[in-house]
Amino acid sequence: MTSAPATPPGLRLLNQASLILFALVLLVFGVMSPAFFSGENALNILTQASSTGILAVGMTFVLLTAGVDLSVGSIMFVAAAVGGKLALGGVPLFAVLAVMLGIGLLYGALNALFITRLAIMAFIVTLATRYFGRGLGLRITETRAMNLPESFYELGAARILGVPLPVLVFAAVVLAAHLILTRTPFGRQIYAVGGDLEAARKAGIRTRVILFSVYAICGLCAAGAGIVALSQAPAVSPGFGNNREFMAIAAAVLGGTSLFGGRGAVFPGTVLGAVLIQTIENGLNILNVNPYLYPLITSAVIFVAVLLDAVRNRVLSLAARRKVFVEADPA
Amino acid sequence: MGREREPEVKAMSAAESSPARTEAPVALRLLRRAFLSEHLVLGLCLVYFAALAPFTPGFASWSNLQTVLAYALPILVVSVGLTLVLIIGGIDLSVTSIIALASVVGGKIMSGDEGWLAGHALAVPVALVAMLAVGFGIGAINGLAVTACRIPAFIATLTTMMFISGLAIWFTLSRKIGGLPSGFVMLGQQLWLAAAIAGIATGIAYLALARTLYGKWLYAIGHNSRAALVSGVPVARVTFFTYVASGLFAGLAAILFTAALETGNPEMARDNLLDVVGAVVIGGTSLYGGKGRVSGTVFGVLFLALVDNSLNLLGLTFYTITMVKGGLILAAALTDALRNKLLAGR
Amino acid sequence: MIEFSHIEKSFFGVKVLKEVSFTAKPGQTVGIVGENGAGKSTLMNILGGNLRADAGLMRLKGQPYAPASSGDAERAGIAFIHQELNLFANLSIAENLFLRGFPRNRTWLPFINRRQMSERTRKLLREVDLAHSPDTLVERLSAGERQLVEIAKALALDARLIILDEPTTSLTARETERLFAIMARLRQRGISMLYISHSLGHVLQLCDEIVVLRDGAVAAYEPTPQFTMDRLVSLMVGRAITQLFPARESKATDQVVLEVHGVSQPGVVRDITFQLHRGEILGVSGLMGAGRSELARIVFGLDPCAVGDIRLNAESISRLPPGERIRRGLAFLTEDRRAEGLCLEASIADNVTLAALRDLTRPAVGWLDRPKARAEVNRIRDAVKLTAAARNEQAVKTLSGGNQQKVVLAKWLLNEPKVFILDEPTRGIDIGAKHEIYRLIHELAARGAGVLMISSEVEELIGMCDRIIVMRRGRIHDTIMPREFDRERILRSALHDGALA
Repeated sequence: MTSAPATPPGLRLLNQASLILFALVLLVFGVMSPAFFSGENALNILTQASSTGILAVGMTFVLLTAGVDLSVGSIMFVAAAVGGKLALGGVPLFAVLAVMLGIGLLYGALNALFITRLAIMAFIVTLATRYFGRGLGLRITETRAMNLPESFYELGAARILGVPLPVLVFAAVVLAAHLILTRTPFGRQIYAVGGDLEAARKAGIRTRVILFSVYAICGLCAAGAGIVALSQAPAVSPGFGNNREFMAIAAAVLGGTSLFGGRGAVFPGTVLGAVLIQTIENGLNILNVNPYLYPLITSAVIFVAVLLDAVRNRVLSLAARRKVFVEADPA
Repeated sequence: MGREREPEVKAMSAAESSPARTEAPVALRLLRRAFLSEHLVLGLCLVYFAALAPFTPGFASWSNLQTVLAYALPILVVSVGLTLVLIIGGIDLSVTSIIALASVVGGKIMSGDEGWLAGHALAVPVALVAMLAVGFGIGAINGLAVTACRIPAFIATLTTMMFISGLAIWFTLSRKIGGLPSGFVMLGQQLWLAAAIAGIATGIAYLALARTLYGKWLYAIGHNSRAALVSGVPVARVTFFTYVASGLFAGLAAILFTAALETGNPEMARDNLLDVVGAVVIGGTSLYGGKGRVSGTVFGVLFLALVDNSLNLLGLTFYTITMVKGGLILAAALTDALRNKLLAGR
Repeated sequence: MIEFSHIEKSFFGVKVLKEVSFTAKPGQTVGIVGENGAGKSTLMNILGGNLRADAGLMRLKGQPYAPASSGDAERAGIAFIHQELNLFANLSIAENLFLRGFPRNRTWLPFINRRQMSERTRKLLREVDLAHSPDTLVERLSAGERQLVEIAKALALDARLIILDEPTTSLTARETERLFAIMARLRQRGISMLYISHSLGHVLQLCDEIVVLRDGAVAAYEPTPQFTMDRLVSLMVGRAITQLFPARESKATDQVVLEVHGVSQPGVVRDITFQLHRGEILGVSGLMGAGRSELARIVFGLDPCAVGDIRLNAESISRLPPGERIRRGLAFLTEDRRAEGLCLEASIADNVTLAALRDLTRPAVGWLDRPKARAEVNRIRDAVKLTAAARNEQAVKTLSGGNQQKVVLAKWLLNEPKVFILDEPTRGIDIGAKHEIYRLIHELAARGAGVLMISSEVEELIGMCDRIIVMRRGRIHDTIMPREFDRERILRSALHDGALA
C-alpha cells in the first residue's frame, strides 16, 4: 500500500551512531581496566559530567536552530566572577545563585540581540562576546584567583538519597529541557525553525522570538553550569570556563544533535554525549594515560562525530532532491 | 525592433521593487560614501593616531612605532592568509594553534639546549622548512575536512584548533623551548628583515589576488560558488588550496613570532585569534565571502596594533584591552552586515 | 462560494491577468489549465494571499475577500497545496498538522496534549487514507504520502477550498488513484477544489467545470462535458501568433558534433539518445519538470549519469568535470541567471572572463594578461551589443535583465563554443533584447556550432529550431520535424494524457 520509503539506506545507522560510539568506548575501557565498571566510578563520572552536561543542554537549544554560541565559557566566567565577589562580600547564597543565573540570562539575551536584531552571524557575534566576556571577568577578578566560601563546596558535596546534588541539578535541567523541547509548542517550533527557516516563517511561526529565546536559554544554562562547576571546585581562576564551549558543542554533536539544525535530543542524546566525553576522560585517567593526551583524544572523537553528522546531512539532502519521475511509473 | 523597452517582464515570483532614490542631505551622503569607501580603515588609522597622539605618552615616538611594527608583522602575515579563506566564504579558527605547534616544532629542531639538530649547520634551514610544513599539513587537513568531508568550516577548524593546541602542549610538556640559534632569532629581531619577509609574503598574496587566475577564481567562488562551478572553476580544489595557503601563512607567522620572542612556546599566539579575525574583518573583508583585499587587511592590522599599543601606553589592563577589542570586532561585523544591506538595497 | 470577478494583475506594466472571472461552488471541482506562463500561478497566488490583484474582486461566501498574507487566506479557510510541499521533514505527521495550533493541556503548564493531538491526527489520516502512525517522521514518507499529509493539514485547518497545484507530477499511478478517491470524499463533504494540472485526462475526469487560461485571459469557462482533449489543447494554444524571428541564413549540416547515447540517471532521466549536428539548432520542449534542465546539467557534467555515453566530436566526455568539458567546447547558459549564471556583485569584466580565464592567463603562475582580457571583453561586448552605457567595472547587478543575460552569453561566447546549451535564454527579458539574443543564436549556428535550446515558449522553438525533441517524464517522447511544427502538436506531445495505468 505504501510505496518505497523515502529514508535512504544507512541513515538509521547514522542516527544511532552516538549510541554505538558510547557502547564502543565502554567496551574498550571496560576491557582495558575492570576498575572502570564500578558503581562509585559511574557516580563519579556523572558528577564530573554535570557541569559540562548542563552547558551542553543549553548549547543544544542553539544548535537545534542551526546556530552556535562560542561564548558560553565566558558566560560561565563572568557569572562566576560576579557571584564570587558577592559571596565573598557576605551576600546570602541563594541570592548569589539567583544573580548568577540572571547574568547568564542577560548575557545570552545580549548575544541574541546582535544575532536576531542586527542580523550578524552567530559565530562572529559569540566569538566577539567570548573575548569581551573574558576581559570583563578578568577585570572583575583583577586577574587573581578567587577562593569561594565553604557554602559552595557544601552544595557540591551534598547528597540526597545518596545521589550527589550536582547530578540531581543536572537531571532536573535535563528534565526541564526535555519537556520543553518535546512537549511544548515552543519546543516543537524550535525544531521547525531549525529544519527549514523559510518554511517556518511562511507557516507563521514567530522565528525571531524563537531564535532570541534559544540564545537566552543557552546563557542561562551556562550560568547554571558555572554554579555546578564551582560547587565541585570553589575557586574562580583566570582560566575558569576556558574552552568549555568546545566541550559543550562536542557533547551535543556526539549525542546526535546536528550542526545543520533541526535534529537532536536532550535526552538521551546530549546527556549521552556529555557522559561519553567525561567517560573518555575518566577512563583515560584510570588507565593512567598521559593527561596531555586528553585533548587530543577528545578532539579526535569529536571530529568523528562531526564527520558523521556531515555525512548524514549529505545523505539526507541528496535524498530530498526532486525526482522527475518515480521508478514505479510505466511512463 | 531593437529598441530597449523599459521595464522587462520578470518571472512570476514576487516582484522586486526598484528602490526609489531619495535625495539625502549632502553631509549624510558624504558620510555614507566614506562609510562604504575602500579606504575607510586607513582613514580610521590616521584619525585615531592623530586623536590619541596628544594624550598618549610616547605614542608618536619612533621607538614606539618600531614596537608597534614588531608586534604587527607576524599578525599581518597570518591575517593575510586568513583573508584568503574569508574571501572564499570560509573561516579558519585554527591559525593561532598552527602558530603554536609550528613554534614548538621549530624549537625542538634547532634549540641549542635540547634540539634534535642542536648545533648542526642545517638546524635552522630544516627548522624553517619544518615550521612551514606544519602549516601546510594542518592546512591540508582543514581543507580536506571542508571539501571532501563537507564539515562546516567553523567546526572543522575549531576541532583542529583544539587538537593542534593539545598536540603542541603535549609535545613540549607545557614547557617553552629556549636557546634558539642566533641565525634564526635574527629573522625576528632585525626589524627590517622581519618586515621584508612579511612584506614579501603580503606582496605575494596581493599579487595572487589581484593578478592571477587563482585570485579570480577565489573571488568568483566567494561571490557565487554555484555560478563559479557552472563556469568551470574547480571549486573544491581552489578551496582546498586556500586552506593550505592559510596554514602556510600561519607557519610563516610562527617563524616571525618565534624569532621575535626567542622561544618556542606551545601557547604562542593563544590570545591573538581575536586580533587576527578582527583585523581581517575591520579591514573590510566580508564574512559572507567575495569581498576583501590585502590592503584592507594591512590597514586592519595596523589599526588594531595602534589600538593595542595606545591602550597599553595609557595604562589600561590586559583585560580591558581585550574587552575593547571584542567590542571593535563586533562593531566591524556590524559594519559588514550594514554594508551588505546597504549595497544590496541600491 | 469563491468568486473571482474581473481580476487583473500587471507586473512592470505588462498585464499577466486580464479580466479573469469564474466561480467555484461548494463541493465543486474546477480545473484550471493553460500553458506555462498563462497566468495560473499568479492567479492562485492572488487567491492564496501572496500577491494582490490590481483590479477586480474576490468574494468568499458572498463576502469580499482580499487576503494580505497567506495567513489570512488560511484563516479564511483556503488551503494551498503547492508542488513544493511545505512540510518539516524532521517533525512528525502530527506536529506538522498542528504546528501552529497544538492542542493544549488544561493546566497552567504549556504542554501539548499529546493524546488529543494523536487522536485528531489519526482521524484526519483516516480521511486521507494514510495508515501511518501520527508520530511517524515526515522524512520517512514518500512524496505521495507527504502530499496526503498536506491535504490532512488542509482538513485540520477546516479548509472549505483546497487548491491543488500539479498534484500528480511526483506520484505513482497507484498514489494518483488514491488521491482521486480522497478528492471524491472531500467533494462529498462540500469542499470546493481548484485543480491545476497539465494532465488533461485527469482534469476531464475529475472536474465539474474547466477554466482555460491563455495569455492571462479566460479562453473558455464551461462545464466539463463540453470539452474534449483536442478542444482543450487548441483553446490553450489559440490562434498562432506570429512573432517575428530573425531570418535564418544558414542551415544545419549533417556532421554530428554532440552525441548522447542511452543516458539514464535513476529518478531523473531515462534512455536519452539524440544527436546534435554542426550548425543545427535543436529545440527541447516539454512541461516544467519533464527533465529538460536535468538533462542539460547531465550533458554539461554538473550532475552524474549512471548509464550512457556523451561524445563531443567523437570524444567521450562522460567522465569529465565541467571545466574540462568547457575546454573542449561545451557551454551552458543555465535557467536561473541570478543563481547560477552571474556573480551579481562582481563587475561585468569579471563575469565575462570567468569561463575563459585559462586562455587569458599565462601558463606557469596563472598571471593574468590584462590587456588581452580587456580587449576580449570589449570585443565580446560589441558582439552581443551590451548597452554602451555600462562600464566594464560596473557590478552586474546594476544591469537590466536583458543586459544581464547578454553578459552571461558573452561569457560563453568568449570561448567560441562548439556546443552551446541554452536553458530558457529569453526568460524574463523584453522584446528588444530577445531579438538580439535570437540573432546571436543564429550567428552561432551559422559559424558551425551546435545549439541545444530548451524553452517553455513553443513559439520560440518553432521560430528558431531545425528540429524539436519533446521530453516527458524524463524521456524523449517525440522528435518533431519542421513540417510538423505546430503549437498544438507540440503541446499535445508534451502533455500527459493522464490515462491511469
